[in-house]
Amino acid sequence: MGFMLSMTFLGTFCGVVLLALGVLALRQCWLRRPAAGLFLAAGGWLLVLAGLYAFTRPWNGVLGTAYGLLAFSIIAYVVVAVGIEIRSARRPAPISRALEPEDRRTNWLRGTAKAFLAIVLAGFTSIGLGLAFAIAMPFATHERIVVGGLLVPILWGAGMAWTLCDAKLVRATIVLLSASAFGYGVAFLPKVLG
Amino acid sequence: MDTRTETRPPKRQFLSAPFVQAMLAGHSALGIAFAALIYIVCVSGTVLVFLAELQRWEQPDGPVISAEVTPEFVADVLATVQVQARAEGAAHDIMLVGPTAHTPRFAAFYHDDDAGVDGDWLIDAEGLLAAPVEAPWAEFLAELHMELHLPRTWGLLLVGLTGVALLSSLISGILSHPRVFKDAFALRWGGSRRLQEADLHNRLGVWGLPFHVVVSLSGALLGLSTLIIGVLALAAYEGNSEKAFAAILGPMARADKSPAPLPDLASMIRQVQARSPQARFVSANIQNVGTAGQVVHLGMKTPGYLPMANMYFFDGAARPLGDGGLETGTVGQQILGALQPLHFGWFGGILVKLAYGALGLALTVIAYNGVTIWLIRRRDKGRPAERLERIWTALGWGQPLAFAVTAAVSLSGEEISLPAVYLATVGVAIAAAFAIRSVAAAGTALRLASAVSILGVVVLHAVSWAGQVTDPMAHFVNAALLLIAVVLALPVILRRRKPA
Repeated sequence: MGFMLSMTFLGTFCGVVLLALGVLALRQCWLRRPAAGLFLAAGGWLLVLAGLYAFTRPWNGVLGTAYGLLAFSIIAYVVVAVGIEIRSARRPAPISRALEPEDRRTNWLRGTAKAFLAIVLAGFTSIGLGLAFAIAMPFATHERIVVGGLLVPILWGAGMAWTLCDAKLVRATIVLLSASAFGYGVAFLPKVLG
Repeated sequence: MDTRTETRPPKRQFLSAPFVQAMLAGHSALGIAFAALIYIVCVSGTVLVFLAELQRWEQPDGPVISAEVTPEFVADVLATVQVQARAEGAAHDIMLVGPTAHTPRFAAFYHDDDAGVDGDWLIDAEGLLAAPVEAPWAEFLAELHMELHLPRTWGLLLVGLTGVALLSSLISGILSHPRVFKDAFALRWGGSRRLQEADLHNRLGVWGLPFHVVVSLSGALLGLSTLIIGVLALAAYEGNSEKAFAAILGPMARADKSPAPLPDLASMIRQVQARSPQARFVSANIQNVGTAGQVVHLGMKTPGYLPMANMYFFDGAARPLGDGGLETGTVGQQILGALQPLHFGWFGGILVKLAYGALGLALTVIAYNGVTIWLIRRRDKGRPAERLERIWTALGWGQPLAFAVTAAVSLSGEEISLPAVYLATVGVAIAAAFAIRSVAAAGTALRLASAVSILGVVVLHAVSWAGQVTDPMAHFVNAALLLIAVVLALPVILRRRKPA
């Protein structure tokens, strides 16, 4: 029992150290931009992967990965916070060269159509495609239903992002309707025909 | 995400400028449309990570069971609970939730939906019904996060849609951030407010991305599950949603209502432990209890796995009907078992909860200051939206204030609807934001009001429960609340002390 505990502690400690070293290497690479930046970045990511792997050794693979990713985010936040650059309010604000959002002319009709596409039609389509996966894929019941269910928010979110950034409403409508027809066709046609 | 930086972007970008600008436009539109919902769901979700601790804080005289319970103890509790449930005419379904290392309480729930009767009890170390569960504030917060206090189906759907919108924002946020790596460690504080907020937004967003994706995806799926299963039932289960749910959640009770003895939980627990000696009792859900059609879903946790428990199914005669495979089953089964613990951070004790609290707070800040960046950008362009600025400030700082006020009302024991108190407090915060001379002053005032209210809650709790606290968790939660009050008030106090 004591041995198991010390192995768990050792694995977790190694994971934290490797993750911290990886994040620090990435920071060195992206903030200082040294000559060997590419190697430093690759090394940083390798250390992060090694840290995640170290977490999976004492813990179960899934649990270890969850712990490792949590630790990764917290360590990165700490590194960012430690490197905070305090600026004087008296210093003039820098001239922004950042890209601004596209300035689009819009009206209520267009706004309503966009909302309909992003919320209703993208949702309808993603449910249809998730349903097609849940019914037609040759996997066990749990795989089909759970993965099909997970596809719904992913596809819906992606569809929402795309329809809101695409200025061409007709294109988005045609693609979403086609995907819906495919999804619901695969899901319901066998039942209707059989 | 705002990509304001000081340096000119390189000529050859992986993402073209028009693409990034279109993504930014979509990201802004989506963020603004869903901002308030995303913010409320995030802030309540962050608090809800500590649901078990808050329930113990609300009922600090509740019995604590530190030792592991034996199979016979669980069986005796079932018998005791059934007697009470029968007396109340609610012995249809019974659920027992045993103590764990992190939550040393044993609770029992029973209900009969047809009769509209239910009961919730805490069990003491003797296996007796010690006291009804009394945690209205924790319940209020849970319903706010999961259903927004709307009718259940609509509430779940709206929260699920909010999760989708959050996921979509993450996608468009990353795609509208061409310097995601190069700026990954830049956090400039002071000087330009917009640059400061944009840096904070982007750094919190990028480094917390695994967490943000997991909670938004799992939250969206949990919220939309009723809709998805409903459509799946139409296509493959003759429109029967229960059948569709049973396909993934395990066997349901049969309709045979003829009387039968209580299921032998002790025997079931021992059967599972014969296969997995380290498995410990977590929960038991007995459907159609005391009838020939009864079915038991026994939750047993083996240390080292992520799910809160694996489900083992038995009929009324303790014959095994399979298991859910949540710990070691197929990929789909393991995903199913991981959804809830991964969403709420209920899988690794207090350290994981604290990490979830920090990352949840980060997501809350991202949701809040995304709109702030948009408002600053408008102001910078000479099109300030002062009314919106006031409303947004009030909505933001009104949440900790409303949570504190609802907690105080709940502690006072007054029979007042907590959702009504919550809405009234947010309404007052908005009115105050319009009454105060500037947006910044309104933010400061509401922030201080939140700190004072939280302090008031701690004092009220200490006075109300003086000499009755048996669960040490109450002291830890009070200490945490004090710390939150100090963190809220300190920057304001320090700013006031600074010489001009």
